[in-house]
Amino acid sequence: MINQKFKIIYTVMVILCLGIILSGCGKKNTIRIGHKNFTEQRILGQMFALLIEEHTNYKTDVKEFGSTSLVFEALKNNQIDISGEYTGTAYAAILNQNELKEPQAIYDYVKKEYAEQFQISWLEPIGFNNTYTFSVRKEIAEQYNLKTFSDLAEAAPNLRLGVTMEFLEREDGLPGVKKVYGGFEFKEEKALDPGLRYTAIAENEVDVIDAFSTDGKIVEYNLTILEDDKQFFPPYFVAPLIHQESAKNYPEIVEVLLKLKNQISDEEMQELNYKVDEKRIPEAKVAEEFLKAKGLIK
Amino acid sequence: MSLNSQTNFFEFLSYRADEIIRLLFEHIQITGFAVLLAILIGVPIGIFITRKEKCANIIIGIANIFQTLPSLALFGLIIPFLGIGITPSIFVLFLYALLPIIKNTYIGINSVDPSIIEAGKGMGMKSSQILRMVELPLALPMIMGGIRISTVINIGTATIASLIGAGGLGDLIFKGISMNDSYLTLAGAIPTSLLAIGADTLLGMIENALVPKGIAKVQRDG
Repeated sequence: MINQKFKIIYTVMVILCLGIILSGCGKKNTIRIGHKNFTEQRILGQMFALLIEEHTNYKTDVKEFGSTSLVFEALKNNQIDISGEYTGTAYAAILNQNELKEPQAIYDYVKKEYAEQFQISWLEPIGFNNTYTFSVRKEIAEQYNLKTFSDLAEAAPNLRLGVTMEFLEREDGLPGVKKVYGGFEFKEEKALDPGLRYTAIAENEVDVIDAFSTDGKIVEYNLTILEDDKQFFPPYFVAPLIHQESAKNYPEIVEVLLKLKNQISDEEMQELNYKVDEKRIPEAKVAEEFLKAKGLIK
Repeated sequence: MSLNSQTNFFEFLSYRADEIIRLLFEHIQITGFAVLLAILIGVPIGIFITRKEKCANIIIGIANIFQTLPSLALFGLIIPFLGIGITPSIFVLFLYALLPIIKNTYIGINSVDPSIIEAGKGMGMKSSQILRMVELPLALPMIMGGIRISTVINIGTATIASLIGAGGLGDLIFKGISMNDSYLTLAGAIPTSLLAIGADTLLGMIENALVPKGIAKVQRDG
């Protein structure tokens, strides 16, 4: 009797295992989209998904990853099919270069290298440039007379820095800034989740953040953006990336993603981010409304 | 901490219901698979080391090491080997579930009164029969205890797997933290908690169904 019970249980468990495996396998015609862990990337991920589901017969699966490098690894290994990347990030953080400055030159360079080294194709830029900035509360800018990065380099020992974890490590982040400007020795350096930086600066827990230029919260929190007087940061124009295998297997989606070429300006992206961050409208809805307004989906 | 003053939590939940349910199922898939694997592999290992005492310390020691490594680190370290997404997440959760199951199987079987085993031998039982009819049923409460602990821990730990693209309810929690939106965070945390409670209750019911009535009576009446 007990013998029977154990046999039954064991069999049930094996069947369950198989069931779970199989349900994971039925994903042949599913396009896997990966994005980073901040609002703009989430919106872009939803846009890619909406466009593909509207204009093709494929289903989509959108996944969030904790960092640039995780998304990159996933795409490189073709564990996802599509992602959205910034030219400056690819150039400086992934390919570790710092010579070029001009947007088109950088785009051509990363496009060539990604195709050769990683079998990843860069599609046409979507339009906006989302660069790193240093942003402070208005009072701090007035108190320390901050207008440029050079000003900040000097005033840093009085101030507390709150930035994304990546920024602390990347060559196009704090380490690189220190090399080019000197100074930038802050009283305190905190690593924070991208969204939490704004809470931290608003609640006076930090004084300086590496705000992204298209963040909706810059306007909301009335922050002052400082000028990159030595032009340290490269341009960061975003474009859809697709693994060449995926482009081969699902040729239609390349054309679909090209519909986004030059469709979103800096201001428009900031407005979209603002809708999600401040008005609390879900990313999928914001993406849908925008695409409808532009006539890219019905 | 800014909340959308226009909706209350329940309106928020119903608005996001589709997403929450989808992530809940992903979460169940990942943890379910990991725990099942841990049972299928961990129980036999636990039985094995009761027969080979010399191996017991080594094996429990290894399983112990996996338990003490911070789960966040383990998810990251596994990437070069298993990539990102569901597969490495299941593997890591499986490693985490092993220790309680192996240990409890081992202790459970070892704590069966030797005189009962003697009685079985005296009745002419082979050792496989003793295992199936005496040791396992008597050790079952301990084994189920290990399984229940593993399951509850795994359901919580699986939220961290969102960082490497595994999906599941952790996505909502990370989003909520990122956007400083406690509704989102709770929309992830509460289902996770309910899932753990539900799983534990279900396993408790299975345990009651499995323990033979005779043994249950003895355990109740002493």
